[in-house]
Amino acid sequence: MHQAALIIAWLILFSTLALILSEKLPRSVAAMLGGFLMVAAGLIFGFYNEHEAVLSIDFNTLGLLLGMMILVALLETTGFFQFIAIKAAQMSRGKPVLLLFMLGGITSIVSMFLDNVTTVVLIAPVTILVSEIMGINPLPYLMAEAMLSNIGGVATLVGDPPNVLIASAAEFTFVDFLVHSLPIVIVVWFSVLGLIRWLFRKEMDISKETPEALQGLDPKQALKDRKGAGKVIVMISIAVLFFLLEDWIGITPAMIALGAATLAVIWVSPSFKEVLRHIEWEVLVFFTGLFICVGGVEAAGGFDILAGWIHGASSLPPSVFGLIILWLVALLSAFVDNVPITIAMVPIILSLESSGIPVQHLWWAVVFGAGFGGNGTVIGSTANVVVAGLSEKTRHPITPRLWSKRGFPAMVLSCLVASVLYLVLIDLMMGV
Amino acid sequence: MLVTNWMKKAVFSIYQGQSLGQAAELLVQHHIGTLPVIDLSGRLVGVITLADVLRVGMPDFIQLVDDFKFVHDFGAMERFIPDRSVLNHSVDEKMHEPKSVDEKATILHAAAVMQQSNLRDLPVTDSEGKLIGIVSHVDIGVALIRNWNFIG
Repeated sequence: MHQAALIIAWLILFSTLALILSEKLPRSVAAMLGGFLMVAAGLIFGFYNEHEAVLSIDFNTLGLLLGMMILVALLETTGFFQFIAIKAAQMSRGKPVLLLFMLGGITSIVSMFLDNVTTVVLIAPVTILVSEIMGINPLPYLMAEAMLSNIGGVATLVGDPPNVLIASAAEFTFVDFLVHSLPIVIVVWFSVLGLIRWLFRKEMDISKETPEALQGLDPKQALKDRKGAGKVIVMISIAVLFFLLEDWIGITPAMIALGAATLAVIWVSPSFKEVLRHIEWEVLVFFTGLFICVGGVEAAGGFDILAGWIHGASSLPPSVFGLIILWLVALLSAFVDNVPITIAMVPIILSLESSGIPVQHLWWAVVFGAGFGGNGTVIGSTANVVVAGLSEKTRHPITPRLWSKRGFPAMVLSCLVASVLYLVLIDLMMGV
Repeated sequence: MLVTNWMKKAVFSIYQGQSLGQAAELLVQHHIGTLPVIDLSGRLVGVITLADVLRVGMPDFIQLVDDFKFVHDFGAMERFIPDRSVLNHSVDEKMHEPKSVDEKATILHAAAVMQQSNLRDLPVTDSEGKLIGIVSHVDIGVALIRNWNFIG
């Protein structure tokens, strides 16, 4: 009976992941189906039930995501993103390298705190606009924005969904991310920016530009709701301040984000229906379905077996074990959504931990692998998909081939740089 | 009142498979905004408009930002001339599904179709779907208002 349960639970999880990958159904629907089948199988074979399914949903992750989504939704309609993109472009005075640095820089900084997809969806159109009036090719800037948005997100606890998941499972704080991840992200950021500059040297070195047209843009006119934007920025800043003090005040990031979102909604007082329409329910449903599905495998004891196998590898030096995980997760993340990978890695690492192996450096390996791996292909991250989708409406479409040609080297470089720093900082990563 | 009373019977059209450049030439030559696309048997299969042809020379950003009041200088786009090669594409790639009315339709029906789909011109077809004429929203609109009988 135990064996049968185990096989069925793994079979359902794998089929769900395959269904998500096949894109035959929307990924959230596939995850819902997987969750439902897992509970149904659990009831029949006696390894899982509704109550355990509800317990397997990580409300810390969902709450944090929902809170940040509400804050972004409030900011989205104010024109704030357009405002900063125009400002950044103007500060570059139209010099290609400086433009790359400025647009990439603000995209990364915003992505450290807010959702990557929303950030690129709002900054990419302004980038296309700026390129058109300057008479330059937007491709290097667009691809840089997607990639640097993914890279920036790795730096903080709230930057990327995998980080939220790992922070919740490993009990990492906002400050932990600033200490362990931010320094590595900064080095990776400059390396990738340099690589993009080199890979796109042909597109970026053209003479027929008209940088003076940039001065004809009025950022203040793009900022439609200055007061509203100000209020949301204040609330986000307060939330970040509380994130920083989490250790000291001891309230969870989910509580902080939802609290800030609630107060911001009351203060800005927009149409709440409109705000709710901007929430990505699809993402929240996707997470919930996956949590329930993975929870079933865990209840069937599936991850203990896997961890048992991996246990053999724990005789390796910790740094080597960590690097294997980093590259494995990175390569998987280049082709599959990094969220299901992370959700599946969490119980494996927790099982390893309960068998007495030090795992702190493994969590960081997953953070870097999941974060930097997504740049490898156009389907590696949602930000890539969205930017490529926008570019298809223009004269300069980003094809999957082009993405792999320029993105894969960037991904390999990111992981190489991260690996070297990981080795150098292995004591820090292990928390010794 | 039937739409056939108000339509132009001498309608300029283009065959499926002809180029966007040929469509542009017809639009310019005859100073018109809409070109029905027909197959060899004369059946209406699509519509190509002045806006569709113009799009190849328009800034891409107008489709991506909902408001561009803040752009006071179109810069390089002012001098942008589309590459000739884009005009070699077949009209089939850029044409829309045709919205049309049957020869038995009334002018109110035609006006309603145009109003709802925001069309400037509406092709008229016979019972076999063959193109027999075209009406403009001005022709139909003026005819309808006349019918109300309060204008001299």
